[in-house]
Amino acid sequence: MEATLTPAEMARRQAAARRTAWALGAAALALYLIGFLIQR
Amino acid sequence: MSIATTHPAEHHGEHHPSGILRWLTTTNHKDIGTMYLTFALIMFFVGGIMILAVRAELFSPGLQLMKPEFFNQLIGVHALVMIFAALMPAATGFANWQLPLMIGAPDMALPRLNNWGFWLLPPAAILLTLPFTLALFGIGDGAIATGWTFYAPLSVQGGIGVDFAIFAVHILGVSSIMGSINIIVTIFNLRAPGMTMMKLPLFAWGWLITAFLLIATIPVLAGAVTMLLTDRHFGTHFFDAAGGGDPILFQHLFWFFGHPEVYILLLPVWGLMPHVLSTFSRKPTYGYKAQVYSFIAIGVLSVIVWAHHFFTVGMPVPALIYFMFSTMSISLPLAVLFFCWVATMWRGAMSFETPMLFAQGFIVLFGMAGLTGLVLADVAADAQYHHSYFVVAHFHYALFAGGIMGVMTGVYYWLPKWTGHMYSETLGKWHFWLTVVSFNLTFIPQFFLGLAGMPRRIPDYALQFSEFNAISTVGAFILGLSQLLFAYNIWRCVKGGPKAEGRVWEGAEGLEWELPSPPPHHSWETQPVVK
Repeated sequence: MEATLTPAEMARRQAAARRTAWALGAAALALYLIGFLIQR
Repeated sequence: MSIATTHPAEHHGEHHPSGILRWLTTTNHKDIGTMYLTFALIMFFVGGIMILAVRAELFSPGLQLMKPEFFNQLIGVHALVMIFAALMPAATGFANWQLPLMIGAPDMALPRLNNWGFWLLPPAAILLTLPFTLALFGIGDGAIATGWTFYAPLSVQGGIGVDFAIFAVHILGVSSIMGSINIIVTIFNLRAPGMTMMKLPLFAWGWLITAFLLIATIPVLAGAVTMLLTDRHFGTHFFDAAGGGDPILFQHLFWFFGHPEVYILLLPVWGLMPHVLSTFSRKPTYGYKAQVYSFIAIGVLSVIVWAHHFFTVGMPVPALIYFMFSTMSISLPLAVLFFCWVATMWRGAMSFETPMLFAQGFIVLFGMAGLTGLVLADVAADAQYHHSYFVVAHFHYALFAGGIMGVMTGVYYWLPKWTGHMYSETLGKWHFWLTVVSFNLTFIPQFFLGLAGMPRRIPDYALQFSEFNAISTVGAFILGLSQLLFAYNIWRCVKGGPKAEGRVWEGAEGLEWELPSPPPHHSWETQPVVK
């Protein structure tokens, strides 16, 4: 495996990190909002 | 783990502003880690001063120093500050400093989010404590006086301090979620080549589980306090029985967050402990996989046991039995961790530098937290101990001995790596022994006060509790003052001292020790390969 972290490889990993971050953020927001819709 | 090649980056490309702008705009994980840790230390003293005022009031029966309302405010803000503004930022500071170094990453994956996550903290801390100052000018009636739990209906009826705390908790929650997202994506995406998940340092595993717990539970707390806010100001009745609401619902929502929060505070410490024990025993960590699976098991169990915090509120018997046994089952993976920690030291070439002393203190005292926790998990016994000083003593063994002393272990272990200087071992050892002795002097009497029936959160008490309260207060003041040694030792180490080598400790293993001390501004520009 290539040890040097090339700019292209770094950019690919950061893009993947951003995608995952948006998904996790959306999950947290959904948890917050769905709670208000649950009827007691 | 063996390391095939490592190429520490040179000191180049360090173009960053100086002075206050450096700290406001920094996206460097080390700078942000330093800010988190400094903020945590400051707030540790702020929260500590609050509780010393409380202990001073409790030195003898009767009301001497303050009104009961102010006493309640000090207790509530002490807890919120210590949990949200001291312990959690300290753990996040560790994550910022250490994760990239330990997994071979150049920085955190989302550096600007990282900066934002930190800078949300100071405004939140100001919001928490500002009502004390406002009250001096006749605005409002002081800070939140409900304890850190915000229990309704007291919090529905409370003053503006509750609103300030609600907004502070929202901001702290956003900060925690952003930090967690950053940690998860950094671990998933920026590990060095060859570092599979089962080669991940245990500290990173501990934080990974913590981060998922935060993302799962902080929104529930945020929802609960938002509902509380609408109950207070917008005519809803979620928690108001007079309007058809249910105050017990608040307790369920709060503790669905609150119990995992205990593990959120402790898992990062459990993650760093094997590194310290292994280093100073000069042996590999025992039971790596068992510890990873225990972390995961504890994380899962932590979200299904919440109602043991309010057994006495009145629940169907099957619910009581379920929550009792599910709570007790957490002791199984926790016992695995304890076994692994002890087995790591077994027949090792042990030496007792300050981090190792704190690790030993942590194991023994946190063990007492676990054992007294089992007592409280018992439905029948809990009916007697609930809301007594026994509970106060138990959770301080968990969160001071298990949390804060764990943080101190980490600080002494990694401080030479961060600063490039060795701290004073003599001062460190004085700090350890004063802390351990005074901590027990403070909290062992509280177990007995609780067993004898003294309720928590009261500014005055029956004469029969006088002696043990006096002893506890003396212990608390020694404990508080001895932390000045900690701050002084850190300050001295930052300023100078004997030069620390890259591999600071003889038995230390892991990528972070391959870098010089202090590490270059950009760590691991060339990633190491892990075999």
